[in-house]
Amino acid sequence: MTIIDKKVLDKILYHVEKPGRYVGGEHNMVLKDWDSCSTRVALAFPDLYDLGQANLGLAILYEIINDRPHILAERVFSPWHDMEDAMRSQKIPLFALESKRPVIDFDILGITLPYESIYTNVLNLLDLAGMPLHASERDESYPLVIAGGQACFNPEPMTDFIDAFVIGDGEDVIFEIIDAYQLWKKQNLDKLSLLLALAKIAGVYVPSLYDVTYFVDGTIKSVDPKNESVPKQVHKRIAPQLPPPIKRQIVPNIQIVHDRIAVEIMRGCTRGCRFCHAGIVNRPVRQRKVADVLEAIDSGVKATGYEELSLLSLSSSDHTEILDMSKAVYDQNKGRRLSVSLPSLRIESFSVDLMDELKDLKPGGGFTIAPEAATDRMRAIINKPLDDKILFETVETIFNHGWLNLKMYYMIGLPDERMEDLEAILETAQKVLQIGRRLRGNRVRVHVSIGTFIPKPHTPFQWATSEDPLSIQEKINFLRDGMHQAKIKLSYNRPDSTLLEAWLSRGDRRLGKVIEKAWQLGAKFDAWDEGFIKEYWYAAFQECGVDPHFYTNRERELDETFPWDHISTGVFKDFLLEDYQMSLRGETRQDCRDGCYACGILDCFAQVRPSNEDVYWGCP
Amino acid sequence: MNPITPYRVRIRFAKLEGLRFIGHLDLQRLFERALNRTGLPLRYRQGFSPKIRLNLASALPLGFVSSAEVLDFWLNCPVELEEIKKSLQESLPKDIQIIDIEEIDNKRPSLQASLRSSVYRITIPISYAQEELIRGFNGLISKETIPFIRRKKTVDIKPMIESYQIEITPEASVLTLQMSSTAENNGRPDELLSFIKVDPADVIIERIQLIFEE
Repeated sequence: MTIIDKKVLDKILYHVEKPGRYVGGEHNMVLKDWDSCSTRVALAFPDLYDLGQANLGLAILYEIINDRPHILAERVFSPWHDMEDAMRSQKIPLFALESKRPVIDFDILGITLPYESIYTNVLNLLDLAGMPLHASERDESYPLVIAGGQACFNPEPMTDFIDAFVIGDGEDVIFEIIDAYQLWKKQNLDKLSLLLALAKIAGVYVPSLYDVTYFVDGTIKSVDPKNESVPKQVHKRIAPQLPPPIKRQIVPNIQIVHDRIAVEIMRGCTRGCRFCHAGIVNRPVRQRKVADVLEAIDSGVKATGYEELSLLSLSSSDHTEILDMSKAVYDQNKGRRLSVSLPSLRIESFSVDLMDELKDLKPGGGFTIAPEAATDRMRAIINKPLDDKILFETVETIFNHGWLNLKMYYMIGLPDERMEDLEAILETAQKVLQIGRRLRGNRVRVHVSIGTFIPKPHTPFQWATSEDPLSIQEKINFLRDGMHQAKIKLSYNRPDSTLLEAWLSRGDRRLGKVIEKAWQLGAKFDAWDEGFIKEYWYAAFQECGVDPHFYTNRERELDETFPWDHISTGVFKDFLLEDYQMSLRGETRQDCRDGCYACGILDCFAQVRPSNEDVYWGCP
Repeated sequence: MNPITPYRVRIRFAKLEGLRFIGHLDLQRLFERALNRTGLPLRYRQGFSPKIRLNLASALPLGFVSSAEVLDFWLNCPVELEEIKKSLQESLPKDIQIIDIEEIDNKRPSLQASLRSSVYRITIPISYAQEELIRGFNGLISKETIPFIRRKKTVDIKPMIESYQIEITPEASVLTLQMSSTAENNGRPDELLSFIKVDPADVIIERIQLIFEE
């Protein structure tokens, strides 16, 4: 095929909402000469441009691929409903923003799976591209379809559709995949040969090379490689040292979410909150030096013209040089009009000091804290200890230092949750509002955001069950009424959409046909409140004869083989189990940067741990 | 307060096809960032969260191209005009082309306040029968009023049409229209197209001139 006819495209763009989503042409976009590149990669984020363009993972891959000669990367996003209808009626296949070439012309289609509710959009994307959905029905004439991202630590629900998954950091693996692809292409072999070659790359999982067998109760008996050259377990890959920050971040022409410079200051977290998927799968902690952060800010500002910047990590307070960094960032930028946000701060007065170091650079608006639980008992269960005295002191400091809006994150539906835990959330929020009113008067606003717990794979809570959506709804109603009376804003997720995320994140291969059915019935944009229609999913489960409760509400045996056990994050399952049992006893485990609990990371990555003293790993 | 006398700069620029689907507010943001990247001594507005001081003469509707847009911005001190032009052009996407640049007296009124009219060139492909177009347009223009519903309110487009001309070539029918461009009476050439049964998506509408009050 050739480039999409510009006349036809322009004509439909004239009539769709926000056509700027589909045209590319942004500052720092890279358009390479198609014919002088031997391997062309389409990087897809299966949701709107407005959401996907801010994805840091894709931005890194885009830059490092395009930095190399003779290969190119272009971007692909999902069209919104109006654009999809127009494309289908005009027979325009899904195309890449840079060259406007159809996705099917590329050699490799790399799809990011940052969360599970994006899965139906992946199917829609393949369909719009004109490709068979099933990996087994795509021969070597189609692009190789690979996927990466945080959801891939349990790839099983998507194994019908994806040729190969990248587990863990993608910065190095991507080039090994491209090399293997180029070699295979030269040899003119069949697709199986390519898949076998990919399976030899550390961190690459080729699902079609494994057989899954089940017990009669439906749980997994074993997952076995079909071939002896294929590893029994796939270990994730890590970048031992954080790769250099992006030099030429694309500056969108239309407004998107997180429309600012993003500088990653640290990857991984040592806190060990038991519900936290990111905290386990992104181990070990690797942090960036202050000097490198400063350089990234400076070049970022010059390359983009942005006046907003965010320093990203899972727990900013845990960066060992965070105070120096805040001071240095202020000194560097005091003459500029740059607003710097430093999210993910611990609940302690020191966090307010850190923000104060940024002085007039900090963004207006609110301060955010994430206590997650409001009773000491529940804090011990989830391993996020917090003294109420310190919480209230911190809140006082926040209000005293000028903030008028405070946002607090809590979680409900946690293991062994009781009424008293919910009442405590309400009481804490009321007390916080009182403190604010006392110190700053009626202008103070408190906003509570409630997330619903999902027993995520690879976490100590992977043995726990999900709470029934009806009882979650009752808990939400209780909090909603209480907060409403107390004049506290409350936001929360719909219990059904949480349930969908729970099914998909804990799913096995049998869920593939359910996802496909739901998509056929019309499910897409499930991550959007207005997009998610639960009836499609219940109907799909029913038509496929799969019991949804099996994935969420069932009590699990401690020795059950999970669908994701053959994917290794580097953390031992025994370690997770020990931590789960500590949770059942109400025992906490301290931050592991001061004492190693042998989670497995150091065993798994002993070979790649840099000996260079400049490179900081959070492991002792 | 800012004690230094600002240096007011005016550019005329073309907005080409690649950016025709980028709207007015987005274009404004695009200029803010492009100016920021130049490192020029930009002047900011006063206020709680100050923005770069810049001023676009007129919002160009989504889908239009232009060879005649005008932007004012302010610097804290004079800089060689050619140097400004060069560094700003380097920092802009290729679908914005600076045509010329000049210094403007601070006392001159704002662009919006002095804008009177715009001239548009509408290129209609020959798939639309030319005699029929002429007949339709002449019929339309001879009417006393041309009522059009804009955001649930009926407005009369007729008085907004200041002059017009139709040119027939073997390649296309070209309609040149001068319409008023004031806050009270802002003529939109695409609104006329529905009366002569032309889909605006089929044509290229280019703004070719902005007319200011002297």
